Amino acid sequence: MNTTVSEITAEEPQPAVPAAKLIKPLTGAEALMQSLVAEGVDTIFGYPGGAIMPVYDALYDYQDRLNHILVRHEQGAAHAAEGYARVTGRAGVCLVTSGPGATNLVTGIADAMIDSTPMVCLVGQVGVKLLGTDAFQETDVIGVTMPITKWNYQVTSADEIPEIVAKAFYLAQTGRPGPVVIDITKNAQQELMTKPFEYQKCEKVISYRPRLVPKQDQLEKAAELINKAKKPYMLVGHGVLIAKAEQELLAFVEKTGIPVATTLLGQSAISVDHPLYMGWLGMHGNYGPNVMTDQCDLLIGVGMRFDDRVTGNPDLFARQAKVVHIEIDPAEIDKIIKADAPVIGDAKEVLTRLMPLVHQNDHTAWRNEFRKYDDIEDQKVTHPAIAPTTEKIKMAEAIDLLSKKTRGEAVMVADVGQHQMMTSAYYEFKKPHSLVTSGGLGTMGFALPAAFGAKVGDPSREVIAIIGDGCFQMTIQELGTIAQSKLPVKIIILNNNFLGMVRQWQQLFFDRRYSFVELQNPDFITIGKGFGIDGHTCANREDLSASLDTLLASDKPYLLEIIVEKEENVFPMVPAGTSVASIRLE
Amino acid sequence: MNTYTICIFTENTIGLLNRITIIFTRRRINIESLTVSETERKGVSRFTIVIKHESRETVEKLVRQIRKIIEVMAVFGYLNDEIVSNEIALFKIATPLGSKPLDIEYINKHFNAWVVYWQLDYVVIEKTGSEKEIFEFFSYIKPHGILEFVRSGRVAVGKTEKGLVEYLPEYEWEYYL
Repeated sequence: MNTTVSEITAEEPQPAVPAAKLIKPLTGAEALMQSLVAEGVDTIFGYPGGAIMPVYDALYDYQDRLNHILVRHEQGAAHAAEGYARVTGRAGVCLVTSGPGATNLVTGIADAMIDSTPMVCLVGQVGVKLLGTDAFQETDVIGVTMPITKWNYQVTSADEIPEIVAKAFYLAQTGRPGPVVIDITKNAQQELMTKPFEYQKCEKVISYRPRLVPKQDQLEKAAELINKAKKPYMLVGHGVLIAKAEQELLAFVEKTGIPVATTLLGQSAISVDHPLYMGWLGMHGNYGPNVMTDQCDLLIGVGMRFDDRVTGNPDLFARQAKVVHIEIDPAEIDKIIKADAPVIGDAKEVLTRLMPLVHQNDHTAWRNEFRKYDDIEDQKVTHPAIAPTTEKIKMAEAIDLLSKKTRGEAVMVADVGQHQMMTSAYYEFKKPHSLVTSGGLGTMGFALPAAFGAKVGDPSREVIAIIGDGCFQMTIQELGTIAQSKLPVKIIILNNNFLGMVRQWQQLFFDRRYSFVELQNPDFITIGKGFGIDGHTCANREDLSASLDTLLASDKPYLLEIIVEKEENVFPMVPAGTSVASIRLE
Repeated sequence: MNTYTICIFTENTIGLLNRITIIFTRRRINIESLTVSETERKGVSRFTIVIKHESRETVEKLVRQIRKIIEVMAVFGYLNDEIVSNEIALFKIATPLGSKPLDIEYINKHFNAWVVYWQLDYVVIEKTGSEKEIFEFFSYIKPHGILEFVRSGRVAVGKTEKGLVEYLPEYEWEYYL
């Protein structure tokens, strides 16, 4: 897209005056606004402060085109931008000031980096003359964010802004997506551009060539292994959702008959109803999908990185199997698990191009081997969890009921801990891009801001945040953002008065020495009401269904606190650093 | 322990040295030497980094991580027999009155080292060569009293027919040559 401001702001052309005189020069801050509009940005999550004030001043005139959401803490802006990006596939945008504004973003940037989430952070910085003088609110943001960004850059003149903004969005959103930080010195925001504003979308960076289209020889080798395999097994990760390759995945598995499991972040890439969907794998994943990694003769990883929460001890992981690794980032190949046939490329491109090379097949007998584990898991774990006879409500039954009431069609934004694993395990995802959670970094406090980010990104979908009582208190102030922005986000607190996952580990691996995991909690509902958000507490099983109905029926944000069993554990569980064969069901 | 020479071609931008070295730091790999200069192409810098490591696999992973940096155009990792390399060292040697005279002819002929500057009380000798040759000369000259010794990082070119810049992305490059 080309937008020259001369076309927009020029008065009636006067032949006697040279054209250049007619062009109203833009300040850096105005150029930034124009650049964001030209890039197609509709929402900014931000928080003002000294070194970003010229940009906020310019933003005042762009409120009709740029929806700015005022968060209560910059970490909230970062997670909201992540939530936005995860449901839209477009980069979330944060706008914050220098120093503490920028350092408060750091957790969110690190989270976006490890979960390959596109994000552009616009950060104020002291004037160029003050750089390096320990000026008020000066932090070396480039230095601080270097290891946790895909790219970062310090802008020191207004003229650079359009080109750098274009490059930032291009880099954040292409290849393996990730966060980009632009550090903008105050003088660059204030000064006038010395040339006419022109915005050209970036389509190429010389030193950056993500390989989207796979090499033919790699495809052929992978297809040969797939066609020869007697017990092939496919692991689907976040990369499939990022590539929006759900249809291609479906076509591929339906042709080849290969059973599929997803990683945590791969959840919802394929509907749980699909006969080829076996479940999810990982530390708290399903029984069959975990142990079958020890029995398959071919493992096909697509858009996933063999995280240690998936492999357990990598030396003991799938030793009998050949490995096809389909991945856009060449640095992931052989990083953890050696690939016999790596295919570097975008998941959508690779699956499309593999289709004509793979044979129609039907692995029914092999697939049925998964089912016997399902029966054991059902009997030992699932059934007692969703139809308990205990006095207190169990997390699993709440999620299960919620799943039924929303027909598996809501966007679930899960925080980090037991409730996160329960959401992944018991919510029956029917639509893609439906689980937003912090997978790689495991950032407590992620869900509340990410939920309103997701709701802004896709207002047509029901967005439900599942949050533990510990996590909730890490970003509780974002209730203010939700209330002020009138975003109808549904919030469920699964309250067990414990840091449940840490408590579970202490119970299982530290001899029940409960070290600082019990919480004295505030009255969450009163706090919610203080923010202007209605809600209620559900402590009894007989009220659970009606409580969920109230939550779902509300056209405003709503807070439902569910008091759950204090010492419920999440199973199955592969203890950290062991093989999947050590999986525990109780 | 093998010695690896890693050649990195990058855009010449601020902060890139930091961006590259943190990849080593994070994996606890010590940098033995590091040399940076602009190449025969304008705006393209060449880093030559020498490391010692027992695992080729780790070095390969490191190379792939460096390649991920946006401004990095290409990365090549070499073992010693795949490159022609050199280092330069300067020795400042005390020559007070009455000290044992330096055998300059022997130093020239046997060590290929040259006096590049002299004053009444000292001389500066330049020695180029491999790390081993430089330290052989170091042992020889040590009894004379070394006031100062400095050694550069390694510079290296590959033993291939093509220049490494030929592997860089296609672009309208400006040349110095």
